[in-house]
This record gives sequence, C-alpha cells and structure tokens, in this order.
Amino acid sequence: MSKSGIDPALGEALAWNVFDANARVGHSGVHGELALEAPDLMNELDRFGIQQALVSHFAAEEYDAEEGNKALARDTGEFAARLTPAWAALPDSDSIQRLAARQPAAVRLFFGILKHNFSSVPWCAGELLEYLQANAILTLIAREDIEWNSLASMLENFPRLPVLLLESGYRADRYLFPLLRRHPNLYFDSSTYVAHRQLESFVERFGTDRLVFGSRLPLYTPGAALAALATARIPAEARLLIAGGNLRRLIRAETGGKQ
Amino acid sequence: MKSPVPIYDCHGHVGVHPDFPAYKHTPAEMICVMDLLNIEVLAITSTLACYNDCPRGNAEVAEALKRYPQRFRGYITVNPNPPGEALQELERWVGFHTPPLIKLHPDLHKYPVNGPHYRPVWDYANQTRAIVLVHTWDSDPNCGPLRLAPIAQEFMHARILIGHAGVTWRGYQQSMRVAEVAPNTFLDIAGSQSHRTVIEVAVSRLGAERILFGSDMPYLEAAVSLGRVLTAHIPDQAKELILRNNFRRLLEEGPGS
Repeated sequence: MSKSGIDPALGEALAWNVFDANARVGHSGVHGELALEAPDLMNELDRFGIQQALVSHFAAEEYDAEEGNKALARDTGEFAARLTPAWAALPDSDSIQRLAARQPAAVRLFFGILKHNFSSVPWCAGELLEYLQANAILTLIAREDIEWNSLASMLENFPRLPVLLLESGYRADRYLFPLLRRHPNLYFDSSTYVAHRQLESFVERFGTDRLVFGSRLPLYTPGAALAALATARIPAEARLLIAGGNLRRLIRAETGGKQ
Repeated sequence: MKSPVPIYDCHGHVGVHPDFPAYKHTPAEMICVMDLLNIEVLAITSTLACYNDCPRGNAEVAEALKRYPQRFRGYITVNPNPPGEALQELERWVGFHTPPLIKLHPDLHKYPVNGPHYRPVWDYANQTRAIVLVHTWDSDPNCGPLRLAPIAQEFMHARILIGHAGVTWRGYQQSMRVAEVAPNTFLDIAGSQSHRTVIEVAVSRLGAERILFGSDMPYLEAAVSLGRVLTAHIPDQAKELILRNNFRRLLEEGPGS
C-alpha cells in the first residue's frame, strides 16, 4: 500500500482527467464535521487526483440563493481553473436576471420545501426553466429535491433542457431507466449508484453517454465512487467519458465556454 | 484496483432483492468479482431468508457452501417469529461452522433486536461463542446500534458484528459508542453511505482491531468498501487488519477460545 494513503491501483485515476459533477463547498449548518472550505476541498481533490469539480455552495442550499451565490463566487474565484460554479437559481424574473449576468455553465436547483420551496411546474418555474433550456445550461437536481413524477413532467415540458440528476441512489433503476429512454437530455451521477456491478451493467445496457462521475464531496470520500469506476469491467474509453468527458461536453468546457 | 492483501469479507449475501434489479448475482458471478478485487473469503447470508423464508434461504446458503467451500462461509439467518422457530433453524444447519455464524435482520423481520423473541437466539450465541451479524440502521426502533449495548454486555461470549455500523454518520457514532462499552462488538463497514473520515475516526477511537471489511455483495458494490479502506488516512497495518486479519481471527477462534 502507498504511504500517500492512495492505493497505487487508484493512482490510475490520475490519467482519467476526472471532472467531479457533485461537490459542495463552504460552511454547513447540517454537516458541520464534514463540510470543507475551498482550500481544503482542493486538497481533497488533489489527494484523489480529481482535476476539476462542479461545485455548489452550502450557504445557497441551506440559507439563501443569492447569498450563497456570492459566497460561491468568492470561494471558487481563486480556483477558477478547477472549480466550476453550479449556481443556485430561483424562479422570479429578478433572480433570473442576476443569474444570467453570471453567464452560468451550470445551475443547481433546490426545490425542496425546506430549501428554496418552489415547484418545477411551468406556472411556477416556467420562466426560469425556459431560460435554462434556451441557453442549454446544465441543470443539477438532487433526487431528494424532486419526486420522480415531477422530474418526469419537467422533462416532458422542457425536452431540450439538459438535466443532471444527482444522488439517484442505487435503488433507482426502475424509475431511472424509463426516464432515460424517454428523455435524451437526462443524465445522472455515479456518487450513490453503488449496487453490485451496477455501473458496468448500466454501461452494457445504455452505453456511456448518460452517466457522469460524482463524488458527493465533502460528505463522501471520493475513494468510494472512484473505486467503483476503477473496477468496472468497461472499455477504457468508456471510463474516460464517465470520469470527465461527458461532463465537459455538457458544460461545453472543451470548447472554452458556453453559448 | 485490487486489494493488496486477500480479503476476508464478513458481509455478503446469496440471492436477489425485491426493490431493485440484481446484477451478476449468482455465486459463480460473485466469485469472478471476488477474484477481480482479491476477496478470498466471503461470509454469506441468504437474502431470501432476510426477506421471506429462512428454511429455504438457509438451504441456498448450504448449497453455496457445498459448491464453493473454499470461498464462502455461511451465516444461519433466523427470524424471531414465530417464537421457537429460530432455534430449530440453528439446529438444522449446525453443520455450517463451529462456532456458528448467525445473521439477524430485525429491520426486515420487524422485531426489536432486544425483544424477548430474540433471547433464545442470544442465549444460543452466548453458549456457542457464535459470530452474530446484526443488520443495523441509525436510531431505528428495531435495529438502532444503541440497542446492542446491553445485549453485548449480557451475552458477552457472543461476538457481535454491528452490520453496516449503523450506515449513516450518526449511525457510526452510535456504533462506536456501543463498541467502546462492549469489547465483544465489531463494526462492519458494509454500506451504501461512504462518509469521509469515518473509518479514520473509528480507527482512532476503537483501534483497527474492531473494524471489519464488509461488502454486502451482491447487494452493494464491494469496490466501494475497498476504496474507502485503501484510501483512508490510516496505517497500512490497520488496513491489513480491517481487510483480512480481524475477521479471519474471529472465524478461527474456536468455541473454547
């Protein structure tokens, strides 16, 4: 075993150019012991050879979207080459204008009643979702923040909106598979997709384009999701796409930006 | 990625499950994955027995032990309901191992682990120095880890594996509190949640000798547990204890040890 704490076999992840789709930064009132400020988050990314991460802010999730976005701009600014903000977004016109000024590559929506407390239906979030769809902005939603039926309706109503479902869970396949078949702009992350041989079985069935690597940092260790990816019996190019290629395509990072 | 030491895995299954599709779950397919990750031995419990039917489920374990005696160890899974059936089941499969391995699933059997219907099982485990794997979940009324402390202290010859170590961050804290007061308890790290630093905290509080590698294969991905251990900030010697030596030592301790 390596003195560095990383098994040498996991060192292979260094060559994957990993882009983590599911990380959060900043102080948390809920997850006090586990939350990390940006420099410490960077140390964790470095320890696991993760080159880039899509990051939202606990202050936005737990307190206020705009305050959280200001904190996110401040905390990620120093590490802009490696941390891409996933901005919080609210459904009112003023908030959409402020969001647009940030030229977002990605947003993370918190529909939950105890979070930002709005619905994904068109009469409530239509203006926001139209804006996101029109600009092909990757829209992250954690499974705990949206019911399956609401997600299905949103995908029906906004068919060109790229949606990245986070933390779908390992029990989700009977919901996830029909939605993936119906909606080509739906993607999901690997952070909690941890049933036995589930990742390689998914690739055998659906190919490589719909799944992106996620760690769930700072709550989970990246060692878990990286190990699942490292040991999946899939082609090397599939591993690279899941590790980072798919996410870079979705946020247009490879072409140097967005719209 | 592969374990640098052959693993003794304390938590596996045989069978499928009702709530999501099972992939590559046959014993032969599982052995391919065990070889991939370097898992030498896997102790299995019947998923059918956990959910529905202990006699038929334990027969599936018997079949796997017969076919792959070098790779599997077998838990006898018992249900506290109806009262008395559990002891019959323990006697029926007494040939599995000595001391016996026993699996309790108070969550799926919907009965508290410290309830009176379980007492004959705990008596039996105490007399035989059994290894008892108990499914646990953070604060659950039937299987919250804290319920195990008085049991472990009363039945001190039973070796109790706190299955999933309570799963959540808080569940781990509860499991560690139990382990601190009951030296015959051990944390099984199998689980769907992979909280950062929790293995380091457990090693610091309890010592690596009290932590066992569990995968929950073929329910959960075994590589997840492996990645958690191999990348933890703990000494290599501690990793080797967790991956192999601790559970192997428990298995090799005889009834009179």
